[in-house]
Amino acid sequence: MGKAKIKAKNKKGITKVKAMFTSLMADVEQAKKTGVEVSYIRQVVATINDKVVYEISMSGFMSENPLLKFKTKSGKKGEKIVFTVTDNNGKTFTAKKKIK
Amino acid sequence: MDRRKFFKGVGLVAFAAIVAPTTSLKAVDFRATKPEAWAAEKSVDAIKALFGGTPTESDKISFKAPKLAENGGSIPITIKSKLDLETVALFQDANPRALSCVFTVPVDAIIDYDIRIKMRQTAFVTVVGKERGTGKLYSTKKEIDVSIGGCGG
Repeated sequence: MGKAKIKAKNKKGITKVKAMFTSLMADVEQAKKTGVEVSYIRQVVATINDKVVYEISMSGFMSENPLLKFKTKSGKKGEKIVFTVTDNNGKTFTAKKKIK
Repeated sequence: MDRRKFFKGVGLVAFAAIVAPTTSLKAVDFRATKPEAWAAEKSVDAIKALFGGTPTESDKISFKAPKLAENGGSIPITIKSKLDLETVALFQDANPRALSCVFTVPVDAIIDYDIRIKMRQTAFVTVVGKERGTGKLYSTKKEIDVSIGGCGG
């Protein structure tokens, strides 16, 4: 399962988040062509203090190792942002990072 | 087909079991609730399947994208809007299926999303947003030139 690189920084009440997840993002057609198994991230949910701040459902037509950037008003320095990633087989993993 | 159903079932169970207790998610899994939208080949059909209506073109929602994308495997797109939107979705006509991604926007969020998509050929990209409360649909579209197709194309 994948790995995640996360950066989160709070400046003047706005938290800027950058997150990258390793995934081939191969949908059916591409998987056939390159001979790999179908694998892509289906959904990414980010929470701060159990509050959802970001949510995206994706198809395999996102770029390889999808990079997501977003801003949110919630979150303070020292708090943790938690990402829950679901792949096409329904497997999930979580990644945490402290907000700087 | 059976295999597919099996995976879907397992996925849902696993999703509910692992995610539900740890976080108070109101997550909408669009892949499970709107399967027909993910299977649609044309943007128009996918928009209808996902939102159940036809959006009006508006400048209240916008996105930034390169006019000429050299690498179709990774096209940066920034979606911005000042409206209070509930759902934002991105469609393209280049790939075998039109729907690329759907955002569920939490209340009081800043809509400034930066993502990267894959495109097989030159085509129109459409971003559709659904306003919270009124359910009005807004859309904007742009043509992006792709010189080298991504997506194994």
